[in-house]
Amino acid sequence: MEQPDAIIHQPVRLKIMAALKPLPTNDPVEFVRLKALVNATEGNLGAHITTLEEAGYVSVDKDFVAKRPRTRIGLTKQGRRAFQDYLDYLRGIIETAAG
Amino acid sequence: MSLTSKEAAESLAQAEQAHKRSAELYHYSRAAPHLIMWGAIWVAGYGGTYLVPNYWQWLWGALIVCGCIGGYFVGQVRPDCKNGAWAWRMTGVMAVAVAFVACTYAIMWPVHGAQYAAYPALLTGAIYAAVGLWVGLRYLVTGALVMALTLAGFFTLHDNTILLWMAFVGGGSMILAGVWFRTV
Repeated sequence: MEQPDAIIHQPVRLKIMAALKPLPTNDPVEFVRLKALVNATEGNLGAHITTLEEAGYVSVDKDFVAKRPRTRIGLTKQGRRAFQDYLDYLRGIIETAAG
Repeated sequence: MSLTSKEAAESLAQAEQAHKRSAELYHYSRAAPHLIMWGAIWVAGYGGTYLVPNYWQWLWGALIVCGCIGGYFVGQVRPDCKNGAWAWRMTGVMAVAVAFVACTYAIMWPVHGAQYAAYPALLTGAIYAAVGLWVGLRYLVTGALVMALTLAGFFTLHDNTILLWMAFVGGGSMILAGVWFRTV
């Protein structure tokens, strides 16, 4: 990778991807919980999730629990791989600089 | 767009921080229902022992069985635990702890009522505190709190009052810790 993945490199999206990475694929996180995890406002988080979803990096599931809407976000396989590539890219830069 | 090593290190640190916090909170959220369930069992067990002391063996026997079975089902609720491995392990941990307490009573016999009441709680607190050294501060705080409250009750209360103390202060703090574990 010559360039960092511009979609992941944005600070809020980086936090979102990093926060989703340790979660099991079949146990997505609720929007409100993710909002608190990455310290973002609702609108800001929503916009960044849409960007990540369009890139195929996250999946967004919407349903109702006890008549209340619930949005859950999880990392896709593609997103997991892209995030790992991004981390490898960062580590590569650091290692190269360290000689 | 290319990055300097300083920018790369900053981004990596940011990612690692978010990853660590998310993993820790996920672990807490998994443990929370178990804490709440065992807190409720303490309330019922210690409270019941205070009210009907002659039946404490039956009461605790039934509650421990309920706790082990309940622990399995609580563990199964998580989508990532559908294979049951984590749920069985939680039940196994409880069975080991109960066996350990029973063995300790056997080799330390005779033990009096307050020791009976305080020892399992102290052990529980110690386990949580030890787990906290690896997993996160909330475990450590919960363990230390349960141990401190148990010792406070043991050294200051007399007769069967420690049973009420353990029911409401011990069990209550476990339930509150469970609620705390669910928060972000």
